[in-house]
Amino acid sequence: MCGTSTSKQYDDTEPAQAPMSRHMGIDRPAPGSGIKVNFQDSKGNLLKTVEANEGDDILAIAHEYDIDLEGACEGSVACSTCHVILPPEYYDLLPEPEDDENDMLDMAFGLTDTSRLGCQVKLTKEMDGMDVRLPAATRNMFVDGKKASH
Amino acid sequence: MKLAIIGGGPSAFYVASRIFQLLPAAKPSSPSLRIHLFDRLWAPHGLVRYGVAPDHPEVKNCTHKFDAAALDPRLRFFGNVNVGDPANPIPHAINLPLSSIFKNYTHILFSTGCTLPTLHPALPPSTYCIPALSLVHWYTQHPTNPPPPPLENVSHVSLIGNGNVSLDVARMLLTNPDVLSKYDVPQHVIDHLSRSNVKHVSIIGRRGPLEAAFTTKELREMINLPEASMIPLDLDSMVPVSKDSLTRQQSRVLQLLAKGSAKPYGTTSKTWSLDFLRSPVGLAPPSATSQAQLKLAHTKVDAKTSRAVPTGETSVFSTDLVTTSLGFRSPPSSLFSSEDLGHLRTISGRLVSSSGHVLQNAYASGWASTGAKGVLASTMIDAYAVADTILTDLMPKDEPVKTTPASPTREQGVADDDVAEIVMNPNPHPEDPPEEIKEALKEGMVTTYSDWKKVDEEEVRRGEVLGKERERMGWEEAREFLTKTKPRT
Repeated sequence: MCGTSTSKQYDDTEPAQAPMSRHMGIDRPAPGSGIKVNFQDSKGNLLKTVEANEGDDILAIAHEYDIDLEGACEGSVACSTCHVILPPEYYDLLPEPEDDENDMLDMAFGLTDTSRLGCQVKLTKEMDGMDVRLPAATRNMFVDGKKASH
Repeated sequence: MKLAIIGGGPSAFYVASRIFQLLPAAKPSSPSLRIHLFDRLWAPHGLVRYGVAPDHPEVKNCTHKFDAAALDPRLRFFGNVNVGDPANPIPHAINLPLSSIFKNYTHILFSTGCTLPTLHPALPPSTYCIPALSLVHWYTQHPTNPPPPPLENVSHVSLIGNGNVSLDVARMLLTNPDVLSKYDVPQHVIDHLSRSNVKHVSIIGRRGPLEAAFTTKELREMINLPEASMIPLDLDSMVPVSKDSLTRQQSRVLQLLAKGSAKPYGTTSKTWSLDFLRSPVGLAPPSATSQAQLKLAHTKVDAKTSRAVPTGETSVFSTDLVTTSLGFRSPPSSLFSSEDLGHLRTISGRLVSSSGHVLQNAYASGWASTGAKGVLASTMIDAYAVADTILTDLMPKDEPVKTTPASPTREQGVADDDVAEIVMNPNPHPEDPPEEIKEALKEGMVTTYSDWKKVDEEEVRRGEVLGKERERMGWEEAREFLTKTKPRT
């Protein structure tokens, strides 16, 4: 089963390359020149402060800096895996979520009044210094989220 | 660790991907690691390939992450291999006994999903009563190869259950085949849908709009169908006056339902309805002069228990095709399955034997463990938690991995002692799959991930020619294609 014609190698047939990241890459700004974003864990502890450019979205920024934020549908607003929680003052700077984003937020775990999908939050200069909190995700949701039996 | 994962769906790949992420190959402290995935289907990705609705292509983007996991040299995929389950409906899959997995691996993870439809006791399958899963398998060209539904002779369809699968089927029946033909729908399915005479789809649920199983997105897609309209609902009679305790999703669903369909009722040739508070009690077969008669008990939702209780009234629908969409379960024949639960018995992702003891180094994830519920995001979160459990058990205690808090509750039937049963081999061959697999690989009866990627590329290429996302291959066609493209060695 070896000798595949594709450029990537599966099934340990060849020395493999590092798994690639599919998310649209963004360019890091020169240190000190970008818009600062503080990623926090679900308890509000700082994970990492990073810099990005105007127009970059939170999901792409998280990927660029190895923050544990998933984008299962790769930013096409078909899942809720990149759910983030913003401080109210920054949340209010954003345009209202569209219906499709709200439909996905309906299914997000640990939804708050200032929740957004990271892929839909595009940085502006006013957001410099914004805290972005990742929601808690535990397996207990299968107990909590269990529907009453019919 | 040499881990066998039974199943190659999203849960299996998310677990593998998470383990690779937490134990990078390049890191010297990472232990030796091999992950072999076995799928009874020849193609990987489970419900992402054979379940996700064709008009939701963006959901399938998750396969890029699965491809990335498969690029890790520590992973191998073996498709068309049925492990352990004697009730396997895939005729061409080779059978591998579980004992062979136990002998050749140090760890096992069941990510086998819920492959059987839950049936309704009053609605046994027949030519005019078909599980929704058979329709899904038909339009995704699943290797079980069910016959197409008799849509040419069908005007009225009754879908029992109002979850997202039910709405997927409704959209397939109410969307113009010309629209569907640009997606990943096999040409023979498009041809069949073009001959459909379906005029009305009734979506029947035991409980009311607040308890409906569909999500807002799927309801909105129904509401926005360009060629079908919804019969307006009398919501006031179904929803309590006080709306204070509604969840966000419930409020938004009610708003959508109150607004009604984008195309007003009466302006389209095709229609649909949400028939809430109705529970099937019987189905009389069609005769030469009449359609099938579906008898429905009227119900109300008990405010305390949220259960549907009959009011004593009944009514009858004349219908041509009944489709049951009531969820899924794992085969009762499969080892470690609990008939009451409809899935494997686990505690925090660890597998529990029939005697109630935890099996050492044996785990379950995804629908096989949780039952058939939740969307891809919940499957991912569960898979990451199970990956954490596996690594917590694997790694020395002074080197904790990042873990997700596990539920401490003991499920019913779990023994109170801490005895673990041992079935796995602590010292198998470090690399090789079982002998049976090595043999079957030589005969071309097992697909590898690189085989799949060749088929995947070819399917997309064939799709491009036809102006669509992809044109699928079946097993015979894929096997022939792979034989042709394989370099002689």
